[in-house]
Formats: sequence, C-alpha cells, structure tokens
Amino acid sequence: MSTTEHAPHEHLVLEYHPGLPLSRGKTIMWLFLSTEIMFFAALIGVYIVIRFGAFTWPRPHDVHLSEPIGAFNTFVLICSSVTIVLAFEMAKANQSSLAKIWLALTFALGGVFLGVKAYEYQAKFAHGIHPSASPRSRLYERADLVYAAAVRQRLADVRTELEKLPERTDEQNEQLSRTSTLLNQFVRPLEKKAVMANTAAERQAALDLLAYGVFHAEPHRGEADSSVEGKKIDAEEDRLKAEIVAAKGQREAIAAELPTITDAEAKDKKQAEYDTLGRAIDTEIPAMIELLPTLKTGLMSDDNPDAHWLKLPLMIPSGNMWASTYFLLTGFHAIHVLIGLIAFALMLPMRFTAKNAGILENIGLYWHFVDLVWIFLFPLLYLF
Amino acid sequence: MNDHHASAHDPHGHGEHGHHPSLWLYIYVFFALCVLTGASFFTYSDAWPFHHPGQEWVGWTFMMAVSCTKAMLVIMFFMHVKYEKSWKYVLTVPTAMMAVFLVLMLVPDVGLRTHHYDEGRMQRAAMPVHAEPEGGDAAEQGEHGRGH
Repeated sequence: MSTTEHAPHEHLVLEYHPGLPLSRGKTIMWLFLSTEIMFFAALIGVYIVIRFGAFTWPRPHDVHLSEPIGAFNTFVLICSSVTIVLAFEMAKANQSSLAKIWLALTFALGGVFLGVKAYEYQAKFAHGIHPSASPRSRLYERADLVYAAAVRQRLADVRTELEKLPERTDEQNEQLSRTSTLLNQFVRPLEKKAVMANTAAERQAALDLLAYGVFHAEPHRGEADSSVEGKKIDAEEDRLKAEIVAAKGQREAIAAELPTITDAEAKDKKQAEYDTLGRAIDTEIPAMIELLPTLKTGLMSDDNPDAHWLKLPLMIPSGNMWASTYFLLTGFHAIHVLIGLIAFALMLPMRFTAKNAGILENIGLYWHFVDLVWIFLFPLLYLF
Repeated sequence: MNDHHASAHDPHGHGEHGHHPSLWLYIYVFFALCVLTGASFFTYSDAWPFHHPGQEWVGWTFMMAVSCTKAMLVIMFFMHVKYEKSWKYVLTVPTAMMAVFLVLMLVPDVGLRTHHYDEGRMQRAAMPVHAEPEGGDAAEQGEHGRGH
C-alpha cells in the first residue's frame, strides 16, 4: 500500500497491492524459509534440551569428532555464501558469464562441504558410532554386567569365526591367539570378579577396569591421566608375573599327581587342566603382559591396529543419544545442501541477465539459510 | 513473477529501497565472518582461558554470541534484509517467536525428564565416568552426575 504525496486533508489516493510488496517467487521463498526456520529451530531446540537435560554427554573426542574439520566446513560454507551473492550481483549487472562462474564455484564449494561430511560420517560408521536397532548398537551407557557380557560375547564370536576358517593365514592365527588371550586373561577374569564381588564398589571397580581397557576418553585438556584404571593397568604386570609363578607351582603339583591317578576319566580331566595351565604360562599370560600398553590406551583406540577387526562394544555414556541427535541434525542439514546443489546444477545451463536475476536471488536466500543453520550447528556440535 | 516489466530496472522488485550494497561490502562481511569463525574456534585452542570443569558456560555463552552475530551479518547483508522494507517484520518476528516458544515448550517434558526417572530407569541411565567416589548406589550417582 502506498499513499501519494498530497497535502493532508486532500483526497488520499490509495493504491491497493495484494500480498507482500515482493515478486511472487521471493514471497514464496520467504514463506518457505519461515517454515524452515521453525523446522530447524525445533531440531536444534530438541538437541539443546536433550543435551542439557542429560546426566552426561560425550565430548567431541570421545565420538571422533574433529573440530578443525568442522571449522574448515564452516569456512567452505561462508565462502559459498559469498560466491552465490556475487553470482546474483553479476547477473544484475548483465554479466552472464561471470555470474555463471560464481554459480559454478558455489556448486563446487557445496560439493566440498558434502564430501567432507561424507568423510566424517564414514569415520563415525567405522568406529561403530551410529544409531542402530538390530539387536542394539555397539554403544553402551555404562559399565555394567550387561556391557561386560557384550564384550565377552563379541570376543567369543570373533574366536569362533576364526576357528571355523578351513585354513588361516599367519595374520589370522595371530588374531586368534590375541582374541583368546583377551578373552581368557582380561575379560573373563574381570567379569568373574564383578559377579563374585561382595560389594557394589568392588563390582564397579572390576567393570570400570574392563570398560577402560576397551575404550576410554582421552584425559581432559591439560590434565594428566589420573584415572584409577590407568594405575591399575600399570600394576597389572607385576600381578600377572606373580600369576605365572603361582600357575607354575600348580602345574608341578598336577604333574606330580598325574601318575598316581588310575581312573581314566579323572586322569583326562587333570591332563586338560595341566594343558590349560601350560597354555596360560607359556603363551597367554606373557601375551597379556605384552597387551598391557594397548589396554592403557584402549583396545578400541585409533592407535591400536587391531581395533578395526575387534569391533568391541564401547562404553560411551549418552553415546546413543549423541549419535541420534548428531545424525538427525547434520543429516537434515546435508539434505538441504544436496537440494541446493541440485538447484545449482539445474541453473548452471541458464543465461543470467538482470531480467531473470531474481531466480539467483531466491536460490541465494535458500543457500544463505543453509549456511545460517550451519553457523549454529558448528559450535553446538563440535565445540560445546 | 508479477513484476517482469519493472525487473529490468529493479530486479529486487519494488519492495526494497533503491540503494544496494557494493561488492566491497560483501568482502568486508566475508572477512568479518571468517574472523568470527576463528573466534569460535579459539575456544577450542589451548590459549582459551576457561577450559576448567565448571567454566564451560563461559565458552558456550561466547560461542552463542558469536553465532548470533554471524547469523545477523548473513541475514542483514547476504540476504539483503537490511535493505528490505518493513514487510520483513511480518515474516521474521512471528517466526522467531514461534521458534523460541517451541523450544520452551520442550523444557518440562524433555529437558527435565531425568528429574522424573524412577529407580529402574536410573539403573540403566547413562552416567558420567567416575561420577562419585567408589561405593554408593546408582540413584545416588545420578544426583552427583547432575552437575555436569
């Protein structure tokens, strides 16, 4: 609505203009963006409310998020926001080929963003960090007997799988012996200790040590690793050496006893016990001592080359909820980027002039909005 | 588009003021956005002085302030909202109110959910590692962990 410039008290000539004083395309784009604002406000709001209502939340490093990669992607999107606005300005100035170059650059930058995102997703999937339902994900909320059983079950499955192979390579033999060592010298004793514990504290200490050996967060910035479990693993070497001595004594006792047993069945049983002790003394316990430094950094840490085939369950408190919110937020954002890229691709063959620059302005508005969402997602997901 | 004839002179349509940002302005805004991204990222560096537990809120507040500034720059200059006439308030103000309302309405049910956990739920809930000195039951752990 606009009034003509007449002196007051004269006739007001009103010119009626339906709707917003904008072109139809721009009006529709802004209405669409209004719904988009509410859509992402809901998603980000849910994330904030879920996150700050939780007892605990994983730090970025616990879930293999890299802050520099996130910052790089932020930079890429900012650049693409500039290039699309320059494409629009060039079109307004009737410089079609320049507009096209800036549009192509925007398309390329959007592609870089999605490429980096795909790389990040791949890294999460490789570490078993993703929402999953069948039968449940590899992420566990706390170190309890359910978790210990899951670790034991996974190791047993790996061992069965390796044993079933008709013939094994040297590497697979090595994997088999390592799996057995972990199962017999690390997981089962700790699980047994937890089950037999007299107090809740004793049980929790055993389970915490088990979870720590599989995976633990890096110590907080500027802090040395002061965890109880780290010290316990340091002390483990002496305990294991003492165990070898004890087992040797036991084996000698059985060796002395064996010739005196006449019952065949009892003799076989004793012989088996003798062999088990022999395996523990000669291979498993020494192998376990060798594995202690790996436990200190975590079996599933990136430093351990065995992590990729062990694929043990991880104890990351709130990890499942983290994965759900992370993939929901970044997934919907990535879908928006993808749709923007499709629109750019469709527009690339066009010839841009001041007449049809409006279409570049409208897609630009959409693209800036996508950038806007990332401006909030980056600190919320990577730096909080 | 209903303004094909006007668009040859005024591709923005007739809802906007005559003056437009110069190309240099976009470059300035671009640098401001880069610097502000750097400022957010600074909270991650070792030079940031508020890394100690209990001080996280300083970084969070700072980053949200930086993000809002960045958002305003993008909206004002890249989306040309600074140069639009007052129709912009018709769309943005109600939307912003709805967005804030939406989040606030989630607080009682979702945000405060852990306040209503029963004992069984508490025993399965995610707990911070080493939430409490050894000993003590799970429900107590929850209370200790709440301060995180």
